[in-house]
Amino acid sequence: MSTHETEYPVWRRPVLEDEDLAQQAEHLRRRHLLLDPKFPWEMNDDVLKPMYQTSRTFWVLFVALFGLVMMGVIAWGAQIYWGLGITGLNRPVNWGLFLVNTVYFIGIGHAGTFISAALRVMKVEWRRPISRAAEALTLFALAAAGLSIFMHLGRLWKAYWMLPYPNQRQLWPNFHSPLMWDLMAILTYVTGSVLFVFLGLLPDIAMARDHTRGWRHRLYTILSLGWRGTEKEWAYHTTSLDIFCYVIIPVMICVTTIVSWDFAMALQPGWTSTIFGPYFVTGALYAGVAAVIIVMAIIRNGMRLKYFLREEHFNGMGIFLLLLTFAWAYFYFSDYIAPWYHGEPVMKVIFDLFRRGWAAPLWFLMIFSNVLLPAATLWSRRVRRSIPTMLVIAIFVQIGMYLERYLIIPVSLGYNELPFSWGIYIPRTGVILTIAAFAFVVLGYLVFSRFFPLIPAWEILEGQILQGLRRIGRALMPTRTELH
Amino acid sequence: MANRSVLGLYHEATSTADTIDRLRELGVPDEAITVMSGVPYTPEILGRRPVYERLVPIALIGAVGGFLAALFLTVVTPHLYNIPVGGQPLVPGPPTIIIVFEFTMLGTLLATFGGLLAEIAFPAVGRHEYDYRITEGHMGVLAVVDETLADQVKAALEETGAHDLKVAESNPPPGPRTWQRLALVGGFAVVPTVIGLLFAYSVLAIPLPNQMVNQPSIAFDQGPRLAAPAEAVPVQGPVLIAAQPASEPIPSTADSLQRGGILFNVNCAMCHGPDGSGKGNLSGYFASPPADLTSERVQALSDQEIFMVLTQGWGLMPSMAENLSPVERWDVVNHVRSLRK
Repeated sequence: MSTHETEYPVWRRPVLEDEDLAQQAEHLRRRHLLLDPKFPWEMNDDVLKPMYQTSRTFWVLFVALFGLVMMGVIAWGAQIYWGLGITGLNRPVNWGLFLVNTVYFIGIGHAGTFISAALRVMKVEWRRPISRAAEALTLFALAAAGLSIFMHLGRLWKAYWMLPYPNQRQLWPNFHSPLMWDLMAILTYVTGSVLFVFLGLLPDIAMARDHTRGWRHRLYTILSLGWRGTEKEWAYHTTSLDIFCYVIIPVMICVTTIVSWDFAMALQPGWTSTIFGPYFVTGALYAGVAAVIIVMAIIRNGMRLKYFLREEHFNGMGIFLLLLTFAWAYFYFSDYIAPWYHGEPVMKVIFDLFRRGWAAPLWFLMIFSNVLLPAATLWSRRVRRSIPTMLVIAIFVQIGMYLERYLIIPVSLGYNELPFSWGIYIPRTGVILTIAAFAFVVLGYLVFSRFFPLIPAWEILEGQILQGLRRIGRALMPTRTELH
Repeated sequence: MANRSVLGLYHEATSTADTIDRLRELGVPDEAITVMSGVPYTPEILGRRPVYERLVPIALIGAVGGFLAALFLTVVTPHLYNIPVGGQPLVPGPPTIIIVFEFTMLGTLLATFGGLLAEIAFPAVGRHEYDYRITEGHMGVLAVVDETLADQVKAALEETGAHDLKVAESNPPPGPRTWQRLALVGGFAVVPTVIGLLFAYSVLAIPLPNQMVNQPSIAFDQGPRLAAPAEAVPVQGPVLIAAQPASEPIPSTADSLQRGGILFNVNCAMCHGPDGSGKGNLSGYFASPPADLTSERVQALSDQEIFMVLTQGWGLMPSMAENLSPVERWDVVNHVRSLRK
């Protein structure tokens, strides 16, 4: 490690003569990551060190999660062998927990892209340390969403029939079905997300390559593709990230919209709705942002990233979550009021079910978790800056959003236009597979966090280079920081 | 005449920019100078000309490619392999827009990524001048110059504050490098595709055991499924198979005739008339009039054929399968028989 610390003017902390101003500067530094620069080699250490730590907690967690995933694999095997009948899916509820999980995980998968892409193009500064953690969540949430669809397939081994290729049966995909739109949308989104994460990771993989030895060094040498950080590489990297951001945002919006159309295109009471698209997009972002808050809180403590993930980041995410609370409540109400006013008989039954039927506890818990709790608490900066409180609120939002999907899919589906075939869905193997799907996401994240830097060091360094304080009157104010 | 590469390391951007100026003064062309950093410094910071990028046109080409691929799937293949789906257009508008959008976006993303790799020559095979400290905040200035100029360049770099210097023989890139790269990237794309196609075309087939037939859902509201008769061939909808009635006929007893008469008046008389003469109240409204059930033509049909007409409908006549159970249909058949003049 270099010792010429004084020779790095960019990352040197200015020494202020005035005692009051020095105090102010110290205060601002404690608050803002970008005003609290570290020398790059220290930053690299902070980013890389958590990757080597495999404590006892890590292994206990790893084995437990792996066991849960294996349990799911067995349940899935049983399902493939015995057929989907053992899931409890039947008429009228043909879509159960698997589709709930799909919609839920696709929603979680939105946050990564949105935080990374949208906040990047809008040059929101507090995104920097969060973006990678959010993108990684997107990867595993999308994998879980895709797996959930596969779990729902009766003849899994024929899944590739959906893909367009010149097959022996001379059949090409017929795009009349929303499920085919879904396949194409998810395929596009998964491809885009993987490449997007990789692009952002590239300079950090190169960093990891330069500061590791042994098998890790060899792995990162291959994955870094020979990154050296030349001007041309950076210029192309920046442009490609920009293109990706602008392309992936509409793709992201399109994915959930199409997922919602899987429902809205059916003439099923409770599903057929013209605002399902934006309503699902909002719900997806809402659940996703809350999930990122949970991940941030966990990795901050579990991986000792307190330097990177500060209260200001939770504050920013809290404001974001509050805005999404309003948007979600607005859409939910809009989706509710029109059928309520129409007074269609089946919708009346469904609404009665929510208000005072067997689904009432779920419905009221959803309203509490998704509307009342966040809207009542997130106003306060003290709440937003308190990490345990944010964690609790975010977990409630997750519960609420999961319930919302549950109420929409298997509950509404039990009440179609033919009252003689009404029924209630009791999940069976779906429960095991749902637990396994959650375990899979956490396990994937856990493993990812030991192989790849969860904090984008280059982005933070970029932000810190232009960090600065400007004196206005008696106070020091932080200036904005963006190289491009 | 060999080339030398000189790599100097600096602590920050100002001295790096100064160095570039000094190298220019020495007559080193801009193309021969490469600046490496761990952070995306802009060309303005370094006093360099902006990098000439071709990524946006490449992305646009990808978009066009995706657009055309989507049109191939949504417009061309349905015309080549026509599958009529009940009254729906061969190329439905809005779904086509969705698919075209998705493929255009996918094409853009893939082309952007591929273009990035191609333009900056990734994955880079072979040795390049580099120093690990570049990802530690240092900035590297690499100049590839003629042997005769190397010492001057070295002195210039030292003068502007390079704290470390590396001089090496610069070996020109060997010929097959691009090919190696393409082979590497192509291999990653081709190998999974080939394996997938081997399965898709059943070259590789895994016989998996499966008990789907015995799953619980089958008992929900249906009995054990009967085997198809030997003559069975897959056709559109049900057909009458000789000597195999769709369900057992009901003998034409007084009870059956009475039930048949009542059901006939409810379900049939509005078109065929109470006496079956084809002159019901609605008969005037159809382009082709309802059949005269008393006629020779109708009465010459077998019971099973009349049953099938009731089950499936005929011409403008709708199927009665939802209105009448099989037993009720046989009652109606018996009633129709009793209308014979």
